Amino acid sequence: MVIRFFVFTIFILSFCNVQGQQFEYKLGDVTVAELEQKKHPIDESAPAAILFSKGETYMMYQKGEGFKLVTEVDMKIKIYNKDGYSWANKAISYYDPGSNRETVDISKAYTYNLEDGKVKKARLKNEGEFTEEVNKYWKVKKIVMPEVKEGSIVEYRYMITSPLISSFPEWRFQEEIPVNHSMYTTKIPEYFNYTPNFRGYYIPKVSKKTTSKNIAMGGSSTASPLNYQEAVTTYELTDVPAMKDESFINTIDNYISSIEHEITMISYPNEPIQSFSTTWEAVAKTIYENDNFGNELNKTGYFEDDIAALLSGITKPEEKMNAVYNFVKNRMNWNEYYGYSSIDGVRKAYKEKVGNIADINLMLTAMLRYAGLDANPVLVTTRSSKIALFPNRTAFNYVVSAVQLGEDMVLLDATSKSALPSILPFRALNWTGRLIKKDGTSQAIEMIPKSPSMESVSVMATLDQEGNLSGQVKEQYYDYNAYAFREGNSTLSNESNRQRLEKKHNGIAIEEYSIEGSKDLAEPVAEKYDFTHNGIADIIGDKIYINPLLFFSIDENPFKQEKREYPIDFVYPRQDRFMINITLPDGYAVESVPEPASIAMEQGIAGFTYNIVASGNRIQLRGVMQISYATIPQDYYGALKDFFQKVIEKQGEKIVIART
Amino acid sequence: MLLRFTVLLLLLSQNYLYAQNDLSVAAIPDSLRKNANAVVRLDEKIISIPSIKSLQVENKRVVTILNEHGLGYINAAEFFDKSSNVKSIQAVIYNSAGKEIKKIKKKDFKERSLSEGSILTDNRLLYLDYTPIAYPFTVVYTSETETSNTAFIPQWSPLEGLYVSIEKATMQISCDPELGFKYKAYNFEDGVLQADEKGNTLQLTVENLTAQKREEYSPSYHKIFPRVLFGLTNFYLEGVKGEAKDWNSFGTWMYDNLLTGTDELSKETIKTVQDLTAVTDSPIEKAKIVYEYMQGKTRYISIQLGIGGWKPMLAKDVDRLGYGDCKALTNYTRALLNAAGVEAYYAVIYGDRDKRDIVEDFVSMQGNHVILAIPDNNELVWLECTSQQLPFGFQGDFTDNRKALLVKPEQSCIVRTHVYTGDKNTQISKGGYTMTENGAISGEIEIVSAGLQYDNRYTYATASPDDLDRIYKSRFSNINNLKLHKTDLKNDTDTQQFIEEIAVEAQSYATKTGDRLIFAINAFNQISSVPQRYRDRKNPLEISMGFYDVDEVTIQLPEGFTVEAKPDNVTINEKFGEYKAEYIMVSPNEMLYKRSLLMKEGLYDSADYDAYRQFREKIARNDNAKAVLVKN
Repeated sequence: MVIRFFVFTIFILSFCNVQGQQFEYKLGDVTVAELEQKKHPIDESAPAAILFSKGETYMMYQKGEGFKLVTEVDMKIKIYNKDGYSWANKAISYYDPGSNRETVDISKAYTYNLEDGKVKKARLKNEGEFTEEVNKYWKVKKIVMPEVKEGSIVEYRYMITSPLISSFPEWRFQEEIPVNHSMYTTKIPEYFNYTPNFRGYYIPKVSKKTTSKNIAMGGSSTASPLNYQEAVTTYELTDVPAMKDESFINTIDNYISSIEHEITMISYPNEPIQSFSTTWEAVAKTIYENDNFGNELNKTGYFEDDIAALLSGITKPEEKMNAVYNFVKNRMNWNEYYGYSSIDGVRKAYKEKVGNIADINLMLTAMLRYAGLDANPVLVTTRSSKIALFPNRTAFNYVVSAVQLGEDMVLLDATSKSALPSILPFRALNWTGRLIKKDGTSQAIEMIPKSPSMESVSVMATLDQEGNLSGQVKEQYYDYNAYAFREGNSTLSNESNRQRLEKKHNGIAIEEYSIEGSKDLAEPVAEKYDFTHNGIADIIGDKIYINPLLFFSIDENPFKQEKREYPIDFVYPRQDRFMINITLPDGYAVESVPEPASIAMEQGIAGFTYNIVASGNRIQLRGVMQISYATIPQDYYGALKDFFQKVIEKQGEKIVIART
Repeated sequence: MLLRFTVLLLLLSQNYLYAQNDLSVAAIPDSLRKNANAVVRLDEKIISIPSIKSLQVENKRVVTILNEHGLGYINAAEFFDKSSNVKSIQAVIYNSAGKEIKKIKKKDFKERSLSEGSILTDNRLLYLDYTPIAYPFTVVYTSETETSNTAFIPQWSPLEGLYVSIEKATMQISCDPELGFKYKAYNFEDGVLQADEKGNTLQLTVENLTAQKREEYSPSYHKIFPRVLFGLTNFYLEGVKGEAKDWNSFGTWMYDNLLTGTDELSKETIKTVQDLTAVTDSPIEKAKIVYEYMQGKTRYISIQLGIGGWKPMLAKDVDRLGYGDCKALTNYTRALLNAAGVEAYYAVIYGDRDKRDIVEDFVSMQGNHVILAIPDNNELVWLECTSQQLPFGFQGDFTDNRKALLVKPEQSCIVRTHVYTGDKNTQISKGGYTMTENGAISGEIEIVSAGLQYDNRYTYATASPDDLDRIYKSRFSNINNLKLHKTDLKNDTDTQQFIEEIAVEAQSYATKTGDRLIFAINAFNQISSVPQRYRDRKNPLEISMGFYDVDEVTIQLPEGFTVEAKPDNVTINEKFGEYKAEYIMVSPNEMLYKRSLLMKEGLYDSADYDAYRQFREKIARNDNAKAVLVKN
């Protein structure tokens, strides 16, 4: 089956000479007409709009300090109503650990209002500027603009100077409010090469040119100025709509129109070329050669005795893998810091039993190798961070381990107590990872689960003449469903779980509740409970109407919007199986049961089937609901919504029983 | 005198040094493990106030964390700012057998700012960031802090929250007798609190408080959890000496020291306000004009820097800059009203959706929010000055129905804010829908909300179409496949009513079963949720907000169908409220559905909880009552 599951489109930016009427990005040019505007012409409900945002990042040479990255930003923002007031405040974070620090300078900050038909401006003074120390490394500069009212326009300029030339700032063309005009320019000396990474649905126009620049090599000295070429690239977008957040999504940041730059090469005159990542292979190699990665992976001394003892007598590779994996998972505790490189080192982490993602999973990989297994680290981008479209080191923020067992590759992550071989924490289930071998070569690894995780529900219930239902339920969770259950519910008390179910299935009352298999991770986890439900059947006249799926039917479509711009992310494919037995009250017989159902979405993306059989005073239902893919492209949104609607309608059909 | 005092302190401190050696988890009695995610083995606070400008706190805390849900009770953290500092701080971790496994020194504690979003403050936090390596484990935490502010002696709430039990908690306070130390205990059951007063030292102890569980519809924990308030008659706050003898003199002190001199305005602004308000002689009409003027000119920004944490920013600065926090905006509005010749009082309150009173029988610095009160005949009109959208005189559930301190030059006093009774929090719906023979419906409804129901709605007026789509689809979640055709919304600030005119359509509202259509008659206002069941309800029942809903909906049935069955009319009368539903056949194809629900706010005995739950269950069942149509 071929289905287009490319979630992200790679844009080929076309270069062209921008011609015709040019918008002028100029501060201080506020007109009466702009101030009089009551609503945004395109998006009438917008509380504010960016009339323009203009950014420029260039490199400035400072004697003794080398090149610095300087970013200047001009913003002009219209406030339409009170909900837009927060746009008259601005916070800029910057890195300031004492030395090698970034600086932020704010200027030309004014609020414009219309007073008696004239433009009146108020300047931001020192009293409206605040600097805050977030922690040892980061500060925030905050400004609060004066005299802001409905209709005001605020303008400001800020300049960030940074010695960190490998952290090129991100530029956003899109915001939570409409952006009328946005222009971003990069000016990069010939000594540097940065690769632009673009994302989003709105594509900027690009123009390029080259200019000559020079650096004066010191005051009165005789040195002649150094001449160099500078590449000037300008990106421009107009009328960018406000971005919208939606449910069933990994992170909205993947879809905002923005541009980032990754450094790929530095070649100063008379110095060897420093080249950085240009391909995924090169990225992997660079990371591998990083001391906090490769070195940590090669250390073995700290664990050899323990692992040797652990493995004594074990010969089968799979058993070795399981023994090492369980050992690390049980010993180590994740400190909730991400990263593919170790901070304090694996040795210390091992001793203290606490570490970040890299400490734990690099240690795991090293131990698996020590055990003679073909184990390698796999670099991953977590679900909460942006997916890189071009190779770069910052694309990854996580690492897991992969073991080759014959034909099969098994992924391991020892940072979550509920994880298992091939069952990773949800945070790691994203896009493709990159496996790095000992020789520095690498390959792409699919991280998104392919096979459905099952949940099976079986119910034995009895209905009485008053329409009250009582019975037993057993819900069994497999694979990722089991992972989710163990992480979320198995540490709760039975009482809390009982209350959770009573909330979820409105109207049921649960007496006995128990969990089976919460500790033995190799087994599915099951919850069992006895219930009564006094409001599930409708008694109308001498008939009783009851939903065959009881309280397991889907009553509400999870997809409510009319259209969707982003893919639908279910995290992993799922299959729910139902087996429901209902015993009827004495003196009643089945009048009708719903017809069998088979509802399928195109290309097998999702499906629902059920079949109901009545015999004597018993009714039996068997059903399956399946979502076959972890991620479904937005093109299928309408079909998916319809599918759910049909399923809800079908599941709403009642069994009718009548007094005999 | 000073020497004797110090010696006494030393002796006392030694007496109460931690003498419990067994840190093992096995030493915790079963009764304290029940329902607990954490057990506070010992929480010992020693506070000394040797002078009006010095308050020192020594903390010793031993807490066993039984599982990951109890991590929040480690509580190894201290707040500090420019006038306070953390002299020492340390934590030692023990495993479940009581053996030391790790020591964390001051330099390894993490520090961060408490500013976020539009809040600017110089308060900072020093905290322990510890990753457990096994459960259970025990943290022994010690710290010493000092501050020059003596206006706030931290209140003592030994039962720290839910799912935590307390083996022993003690509070010892020694105070310079000149300062007039006082304390008062609330919500302790008989015999629980042991108090021992010797000389200038008070020692409070509680032991074996068992863990409490969460229960819905409980009164706020301020009302039911044990706590002790402390205060000084003579105190010091950011450079100013104060006196808290009674509310009258305390209010006068606040007025003189925090408000006097802050309310000056420029001549131009005074003239503007006087011109604007000249159109009427009525003080309340003038107040309304001024309030709306202030709303159009300012926005809320919380700046709590230095004395700014206590004293409002100058009114003329607010006037010039157009922003401020609750104190600044309230005081600015007060200044504007003064300029217009209208009397108004600065009022200190606890702003919280969980109603919380200023404790009347304990004169001390209290509250976390400020609003404005304007006398109108024998009543007070309350103004929330941080909102740019609330109508004049509308309070809402953030500040309603609770005690507040009116700060006046003289005769300051405690008063109650506006009470919204259930019958005033109305939602009146009128409309109808038409059903097709396929079970689809289309209809229109007008919904008018007032009182606290207005409070829940008025922000819709400025919501985007996308947000409105979401809001209505979730509000009418009982109607699947809902499509909205019209959402005309009107925020009538004069009458404080919110009017929604909505047109909807939905396929398959009714379920088809053979020749029959089955559907819930109440399409637009179903209350389907039922409070949680508890086997052993402990807390009293509080219905914090009453309301009154009236619905009148006409239903056009499809041609060619007859009504096979419809629900019987129902009236349910309970002490919590009254529910009524009528199903009237106006003609063979037209049904009139009339429903009313009055829910009364109130505090009831815990034994009443089950009856309330059943009342809600009956409402849920009747709201979902169905009619059956059969094809002729």
